[in-house]
Amino acid sequence: MNKNSLKHIIKQGIAGLFHICKEELKTCFKDEGVLIFFLLVPLAYPLIYAFIYTNEVVRDVPAAVVDADNSSLSREYIRMVDASPDVKIQSYCADMEEAKALLKETKAYGIVYIPESFSRDLAQGEQTHVSIYCDMSGILYYKALLLANTEASLSMNKSIQIKRLGNTTERQDEVGTSPISYEAVSLFNPQDGFASFLIPAVLILIIQQTLLLGIGLSAGTARENNRYHNLIPGYRHYDGTLRIVFGKSFAYLLIYAVISSYILCAVPKIFHLVQIAQAETLFAFILPYLLACIFFSMTCSTFVRQRESCMMLFVFTSIPLLFISGISWPGSAVPKFWEIISWIFPSTFGINGYIRINTMGATLREVLPEYRALWLQTGIYFITTCLVYRYQIQISRLHILKRLYSYRQKHKTSRQSSNQLMN
Amino acid sequence: MSVAVHERFIRITKREIHRIAKNPVYLFCMIIAPLFCYFFFTTLMSEGLPVNLPMGVVDLDNTSTTRSIIRNLDAFQQTQVTAQYNSFNEARKAVQRGEIYAFYYIPEGTTEEAIAGRQPKVSFYTNYSFLIAGSLLYRDQRMMTELASGSIGRAQLYARGATEKQAMGFLQPIVIETHALNNPWINYSVYLCNTLLPGILMLLIFMTTTYSLGCEIKENSAKELMKMADNSIVTALMGKLLPQTAIFMLMILFADIYLYGFLHYPCNGGILPILFAGLLLVLSSQAVGIFFFGMLGSLRLALSASCLWGVISFSISGFTFPVMAMHPSLQALSNLFPLRHYFLLYVNSALNGYPLIYAWHSVIALLLFLLLPFVVLKRLRNAMLHYVYIP
Repeated sequence: MNKNSLKHIIKQGIAGLFHICKEELKTCFKDEGVLIFFLLVPLAYPLIYAFIYTNEVVRDVPAAVVDADNSSLSREYIRMVDASPDVKIQSYCADMEEAKALLKETKAYGIVYIPESFSRDLAQGEQTHVSIYCDMSGILYYKALLLANTEASLSMNKSIQIKRLGNTTERQDEVGTSPISYEAVSLFNPQDGFASFLIPAVLILIIQQTLLLGIGLSAGTARENNRYHNLIPGYRHYDGTLRIVFGKSFAYLLIYAVISSYILCAVPKIFHLVQIAQAETLFAFILPYLLACIFFSMTCSTFVRQRESCMMLFVFTSIPLLFISGISWPGSAVPKFWEIISWIFPSTFGINGYIRINTMGATLREVLPEYRALWLQTGIYFITTCLVYRYQIQISRLHILKRLYSYRQKHKTSRQSSNQLMN
Repeated sequence: MSVAVHERFIRITKREIHRIAKNPVYLFCMIIAPLFCYFFFTTLMSEGLPVNLPMGVVDLDNTSTTRSIIRNLDAFQQTQVTAQYNSFNEARKAVQRGEIYAFYYIPEGTTEEAIAGRQPKVSFYTNYSFLIAGSLLYRDQRMMTELASGSIGRAQLYARGATEKQAMGFLQPIVIETHALNNPWINYSVYLCNTLLPGILMLLIFMTTTYSLGCEIKENSAKELMKMADNSIVTALMGKLLPQTAIFMLMILFADIYLYGFLHYPCNGGILPILFAGLLLVLSSQAVGIFFFGMLGSLRLALSASCLWGVISFSISGFTFPVMAMHPSLQALSNLFPLRHYFLLYVNSALNGYPLIYAWHSVIALLLFLLLPFVVLKRLRNAMLHYVYIP
């Protein structure tokens, strides 16, 4: 058979591909460092995060009340605030100083101040002002206090209006108090909760970051184990660039097919997060995401000289990446400069697409820009991976040739010297 | 031959400075990465409160009244009406495409019914998959509806001859005045950056400390270090980590100057308490790094532990999602993270300007972290003298 025929090359290439894939899987499962990032972190981290945010909202924020009026009306108001799920009246204070002391001791996170003129103003048909003071160490405290007080004031306002109108029917009361009624609907996150909002983004990010770390770690090990600190060993199987890149990426894809089905399907189920994705859509979307992540990581991994330095280089990026993706901080408010930077990372498109598919029930057509971007990234990073690997192969060949040359040189000189001795 | 302790100490320090200068990983982790993050987070959230969030409108009524409602909605600072849709489904699809965060739905006949006193109903649909954008848009939509409802009511009252004071007294008897203490702009950058920046530094300190210790064993130079320290692990550690402490202190000093001096974020308790908190954060993070390395003994494991512990810090320290809303076991666990205590100190001193004494427990907690290295001194000495790096 012709050794240079296309058929032979392809056959050899595929054999090499599977050999490399097998070797890569073996090294991954033998290396405890890689195992931590390929198995332990993807298994445990989503659980920890989901557990942290599992309560979704903050309930019963402790608040202090200063009731300077102390009338039946003001007490009714306080009761209504206390009855809301968001706020708990922690203490009744005689004056503001006492309430401020509670804030300082973090026994309360807000003060509700009812002025002395409260019931008098209301009786005279004038406006009265209730002041709330919020500790701003957490936006959710502020939100809870504002919400509870607004609700209480609205419902009291209504009952006051009804009394003053002196209508005869309930329908008249309703129309008189609110000429236009309204209904607020929370789409896709019915509890307005924190977990349903943040966890999907974290899940997608975990996939990219653990791939980045695991592949970087395994590349660093490969270099350290190699005598010339080359990434690619000089064996026969490692001849072609394509078979190395395909072989390795196929191994990672196999591992992450399992891991991501756990992260993206099982974890949301365990913690009862919103999950209305269509299976085919999700699968079709996650495939390019995984491929883009894998090739992106393989490209980055060539910068890793030393096993451990990949952690030093990549770990801290998780937090900026979460913010830049447009979840924590609204995407429309991300400055253009950072938006363009964010296009480098598969996670940006992955997070946006996954949230829309998983949480908002979008089909592939609605996430088309992200879907295309991911395939584009897959293509680009595949090419860059091939280029950097090709370069690495050339370097490792160069090293081997150098060694061969130096051996020969040594051999020659030794022969020469022995010849000289003979003469 | 006997060399005084301080001379050994200085020699080790000099050696460490050389090591830091030689390895670019240190330059990256100690200076480039923190500076990048300072710049990144403050410029990302430079708006403070997001403005002009895109939302849509489905106006099936299309009268001058509903158009004025939409115009007024658009005039709110946080809201920008970017598109009008012909039906509910079109708007819903736009939400799913991520073009808008919310939409306002006005059914046909709204104006007519309102004038006739038949109480029409408008709806607003807010996508809470994006919590911040959703909350802000919800607030504006609700406010707008109340105002629209109020304006109709006011017109009716004026028609009956009520004065403005009387009208307002009827329409809104109780008014809520909100005072967001020390962050009246509800600036998200103030709310997040003050903890995020030191948090990033903490993560990098965790890793740099374990990395620099582990590298001694990996590069087979631990014995040399111990020899220089006359086999005293305390001298070796102190000498080795002092240059890092100095650099990290400079970095946190820079963060404080940048945040409070340049960006003028609230620092009501003066600069000294927050600098003190920063110093404690640096030292306690280093202590945690030493502890991880001493306990686990291998560079790889200790570094992984540092990463994992460091990254969880951001969630569990409670500056985004309050600790009080977490499971009780997590509330207890949160005390084991230095960032949690730094956050409490920051809130107490810089944000609220209370005396340091109100946060004494956090100071004590951070000081307790400094005791951690003593627990592992013996193991560490053993590791430095006898361990061999296994790849």
